[in-house]
Amino acid sequence: MARSRSRSFITTEKPTTYDEDQFALPNLNSNWVYYKGAWLVHIILIICVKILFSSVPGVSSETSWTLTNLSYMLGSFVMFHWVKGIPFDFNSGAYDGLTLWEQIDNGAQFTPAKKYLTALPIGLFLLSTHYTHYDAITFLVNFTFLLVVLIAKLPQLHKVRLFGINQLEVE
Amino acid sequence: METTYPSLSELFVFLNTTLTQISIYYSHIPGSGILIKYIKNSHQDDPFRTILELLLVFFAIIYLFTNKYRTVNKLIELTPQEVEELVDEWQPEPLVPQLSDDDIKEFDKIPIINGPQGSRVKLINGKSLLNISSFDFLGLLSYESTKEKTIKTLREYGVGSCGPPGFYGTIDVHTEFERKISEFLGTEDTILYSQGFSTINSAIPSFCKRGDIIVADEGCNFSIQKGLQISRSIIKWYKHNNMEDLERVLRKIKDEDIETGRRLTRRFIVSEGLFANYGDITPLPKLIELKKKFKYRLILDESLSFGTLGKRGTGLTDYFDIDPNDVDMIVGSMCYSLGSSGGFCSGSFEITEHQRISGPAYCYSASLPAMLAVAATESLKLLKQNPGLPLALKYNTALFKQLLNNIKYLLLNGSQDSPVIHLRIDEEIVRVGDISDKEKCLQDVVDEATNNGILLTRAKYNRSQELFNIEPSIRICINASFTKKEIEKVASVIKNAAAKVLRNRVH
Repeated sequence: MARSRSRSFITTEKPTTYDEDQFALPNLNSNWVYYKGAWLVHIILIICVKILFSSVPGVSSETSWTLTNLSYMLGSFVMFHWVKGIPFDFNSGAYDGLTLWEQIDNGAQFTPAKKYLTALPIGLFLLSTHYTHYDAITFLVNFTFLLVVLIAKLPQLHKVRLFGINQLEVE
Repeated sequence: METTYPSLSELFVFLNTTLTQISIYYSHIPGSGILIKYIKNSHQDDPFRTILELLLVFFAIIYLFTNKYRTVNKLIELTPQEVEELVDEWQPEPLVPQLSDDDIKEFDKIPIINGPQGSRVKLINGKSLLNISSFDFLGLLSYESTKEKTIKTLREYGVGSCGPPGFYGTIDVHTEFERKISEFLGTEDTILYSQGFSTINSAIPSFCKRGDIIVADEGCNFSIQKGLQISRSIIKWYKHNNMEDLERVLRKIKDEDIETGRRLTRRFIVSEGLFANYGDITPLPKLIELKKKFKYRLILDESLSFGTLGKRGTGLTDYFDIDPNDVDMIVGSMCYSLGSSGGFCSGSFEITEHQRISGPAYCYSASLPAMLAVAATESLKLLKQNPGLPLALKYNTALFKQLLNNIKYLLLNGSQDSPVIHLRIDEEIVRVGDISDKEKCLQDVVDEATNNGILLTRAKYNRSQELFNIEPSIRICINASFTKKEIEKVASVIKNAAAKVLRNRVH
């Protein structure tokens, strides 16, 4: 049965009859998140992006920090909270309705990987405010983007879709 | 009682000294200067921002120190006492379950053949019977040349292949069979499976996953049903062999697509060429027209139609004179007409190559024993050399149907050219009860026929697992090697047996 897009403010991904499929095989799509090397890559990428933006002539320290912040927040949001399912046919579509963040540790909350990935954007934001003199608007832009990423990571929003955005259509 | 309150100035002095004391202690902590400097730097004369940042730090600290918990499959904590109780309560089921009275009756009725399988068999009590229940339609089982070749292969290659096809299990005889069958069918490539039953229920899930849509015929056999179930796709059923209903289902899906704007997933139509449970032929030209119109792929189970239908015996595409490449996947079995074992899936190179790494039965099952592959190749060769075989089968089928045309008490189901015939009780004439009563009646007919020299069988199902209710029936498989006289004998014995058993149950 096809489900028409819900009009309510908050909807929850309903459990499917084949949820046990999620435990039939390891989830190769989310396993890499636990690797310490992958943790390091986040930092390396942030540094690279910062250097890239700083090296553009005429870009102030505020702009380069803001751009770094924005690219990390946007990139991680798309990767962890927007794209759903698995790009490979490993689990017969058992994870079709779940974002990567929901797939990590099979949905367990406050695991080391999730703690690290939550602390990282906060650290990045604090670092950027320390080294710059944001005016009110730039500060607000940076802060809003951080807030969006943090809210998406909250355990209360596990499998929750706001305004029916990004909901799975097929049951 | 009177209390003396300290004066305000005294309080300030106390607070001041305490704060000074704390800051002195604090400056002794190593690294404390950095934090003070950081806060001073970050403050930037905006207390609101500092508060926001402090809140963020608090949030991070709380998040970092919260304990892990699971959201799914919460484990149940049991005390050792509860574990002990559960262990004590557990009663193991017997390894071999007790037979019920019905089971015992059923098993007693199964005839035991002494000697090789074929169109004419000998029972252990020495009785010779005409076997009209064997799927060996063309009589290819009893060719001496095939037997000799098979024994030679057994001596050369041994019994098993000792490995899945992807891991040292594939040998020259397998690839040779794949090549020959592609040549014979006129398709691009073929993949060989080691079991006929698991061919289609491996081919379907290797292409479909959750979210894909499969439209299937309600009359599909058990193997297809299992394949559909394993695929986890959305299954839509259309009424058995009803093309109008198929079109209705396809149109409904299309309307839903437009209405919901859902993402486009893989779409398949699954049907059987010659239905094992009904003995009728699917109208392939209409099916292909609809598949092209609605942009679906077609999976056709030709297990029974392969070797039996068409001028050359290549199955339904030959029968309707349709290009085999119009059918995306032709699934066949070597258990029936080819008198061997195993199954195959034929189609484009991409279709077979995909299954070689994602077909469960291909990847996780040992490959077909060499001798069975050789037996199938030999049978295929015989089928090519004797183009009269499918014709003889067609002739025998037509003759048998003509003779049984005026049968009383039983209904003759199925398409005109189908060598698989299901005889069902005519409830307008005969008074019968539920399914088990019907089965009992039919079993009596079968027993009566066996007494008169014809080996018949009821169609047997695992009814607790079948998705749709199938009426009990006697399944007849016409054999090309029967003479005209033998066909006449079979027809008259069945007529007499039905009359004898069912006469006293007439309304």
